[in-house]
Amino acid sequence: MTSILIVEDEVAINELVKRNLQLVGYHCTSVFDGKTAISEMQRQSYDLIVLDIMLPGLDGFEVIKHANETPTIFLTAKNNLPDRIKGFSMGADDYLTKPFEMLELLARVEAVLRRTQKNRNYFEVGDVKIDFNSHQVYLNGQLVECTPKEYELLEVLVNNRNIALSRERLLDLVWGYDFERDSRTIDVHIQKLRKKLGWEDVIKTIYKLGYRLEVLQ
Amino acid sequence: MKQRTFSTTLALFLFFFNLGIFIISVTIFKDTISRAEERSLGEHYFITSALIKDFHAVESRGIAIEGSFSSLLQPYSYLSGDKKTGLAFFKNNQLVYSSQDTSMLQNNLLKSSKDGIRVSTVRKVEKKTYVIVSGKLPVPYDSYALVYIYDISEAISSWSNLKNMLFLAGFLLSVLLSFGLLIILNQIFKPLKQISQTSKNIAKGAYETRLPIYGHDELSEMARSFNHMAEEIQHQMAELIDTADKKQQFIDNFAHEIRTPLTAIYGYAEYMQKALLSEDDRLSALNYIMSESRRLQTISFQLLELANLQNNLITCEEQKISRLFEMVRQTLYSKLAEKNINIEFSSEIETIWGDACLLESLLINLIDNAIKACGKGGHIFVCGANEAGKKTISIRDNGKGMTPEVLSQIMEPFYRGEKSRNRSTGGAGLGLAICKQIALHHGAELSFTSFPCNGTTAKITFTT
Repeated sequence: MTSILIVEDEVAINELVKRNLQLVGYHCTSVFDGKTAISEMQRQSYDLIVLDIMLPGLDGFEVIKHANETPTIFLTAKNNLPDRIKGFSMGADDYLTKPFEMLELLARVEAVLRRTQKNRNYFEVGDVKIDFNSHQVYLNGQLVECTPKEYELLEVLVNNRNIALSRERLLDLVWGYDFERDSRTIDVHIQKLRKKLGWEDVIKTIYKLGYRLEVLQ
Repeated sequence: MKQRTFSTTLALFLFFFNLGIFIISVTIFKDTISRAEERSLGEHYFITSALIKDFHAVESRGIAIEGSFSSLLQPYSYLSGDKKTGLAFFKNNQLVYSSQDTSMLQNNLLKSSKDGIRVSTVRKVEKKTYVIVSGKLPVPYDSYALVYIYDISEAISSWSNLKNMLFLAGFLLSVLLSFGLLIILNQIFKPLKQISQTSKNIAKGAYETRLPIYGHDELSEMARSFNHMAEEIQHQMAELIDTADKKQQFIDNFAHEIRTPLTAIYGYAEYMQKALLSEDDRLSALNYIMSESRRLQTISFQLLELANLQNNLITCEEQKISRLFEMVRQTLYSKLAEKNINIEFSSEIETIWGDACLLESLLINLIDNAIKACGKGGHIFVCGANEAGKKTISIRDNGKGMTPEVLSQIMEPFYRGEKSRNRSTGGAGLGLAICKQIALHHGAELSFTSFPCNGTTAKITFTT
């Protein structure tokens, strides 16, 4: 399981980031200051660090020096250009400013992990297995035929599992912005996926919002 | 400027120098001519008088004069052996004797003799210049005229040589002078060049550039004031940069104070909207939303207070110190008890002039800071005193103290000594900014003395 270290001194935000990342199945550890972060990194290796800059004791720029190639995303209220540049020049893989959106945080974490981790090949839940390399979906070991859009929709749902996605957001993520808006397209594709994978109860319709792929951790 | 000075000076010099040479050569020329004329007149007179004597002698011997002109005049021709002089003798305007080649004289000399007076003229004939003196002999020989010719070509040519030499020397001197002038002007204008170079450098941003100062003349005076100006500019630029830094820091801090609660509120709301939650999750998320909202509310209240203080006038009344201290003690009682901090109030003064609410808020803020600085079991002394006719209230603690850098900035809005701005150890950093405004409104001065590990003293000095 992918493990992520969250270094953030504001308890509320640390907890928020942790909960969001846990929703999609990452294993998270929270620390609240620079020194503990460094000792935690020495104790155990992490796949990703989400790092604040303004920290008590040692600040984020000091902490990243001890990160030793561990992918790092800065998550900070400092959004001026010099700080961003400094962050990137010190080896950060991404830079996210507060306030951030849940989906953006997840997408960036996902993107950094995809760049740095080569062994993430498939996702398995129940009798469904999805191969991310060959873009193929199996049910009970049997190949399920999916159209490209169905596969993309499935991948988006899996990457944002346990999070409700609005029809508009799904349209943006799967069809792109210039697609002519018709939320019924989403409904039709969701119906097809449910039928093909036997996921009538897994892909939940959320009232007045959209859909959520519910997977128990 | 340099070019103009150079050309004007040179032109003026050349004009007067050449004028001088010209005047000198003209004077010499005139002098030469007049000397030659004088000499010729003298000779002419001498020859004439000698000739008259000769004529008398010849006549007394009974010999006719006409036949013996050449023998009579011959000796005078030898007066100058260098052939520079010549004689001609006329009778009734007819040439009867000439010591030299007369052909060249012929047409010139014929009308030369007039009645009784000697006339001297300067003539130029065939590249030679002559002084010619002609005059009739006195009665009874007034039908005769003697012409004395003096060749001054050599004198003229030597004058002409001298003149040429003078002009040549003048030319050489002018060249030397122009070089010398150029060098001197360069020397004079060098500081100006330096000044323009330095001001260019300063304009480009090298504010530390200065002019070298030599001596005590006007230029060094100017260089000194120029350097003074550069210093002022450098100083003001540093101040501007400092202000810009402070502003940036203010914006950063403000952004942090606003963004952190906003991030949490938005984040938890989104989380509640989109995630599958248990009842516990839902409650804790709601708790976070509420506490972060309250934090935003506190900040907005504090900002509003700060803004109000800056705009509004306050109503001042006489306040009893003992009552003020009692109110403060009551407000802070639970906090003090929680950290087991001992607080002592004492006062030499009875009353103070000011707004009760604001003074209370000022004291509470300062004591609150002292409580934060103290560990468990710390001591805080609040003391009213009369120092040099001014009422003061000082709050002294034995807490952790501050470094001079922190001390210099604590009254900036949103400044916090703790760089991470952690919530658990302090607020938004507006407390002392508010205190400063309150003090200002009371015409009081708020000052701090502090050393790391040695406690802090905050002192309010009232001037009213």
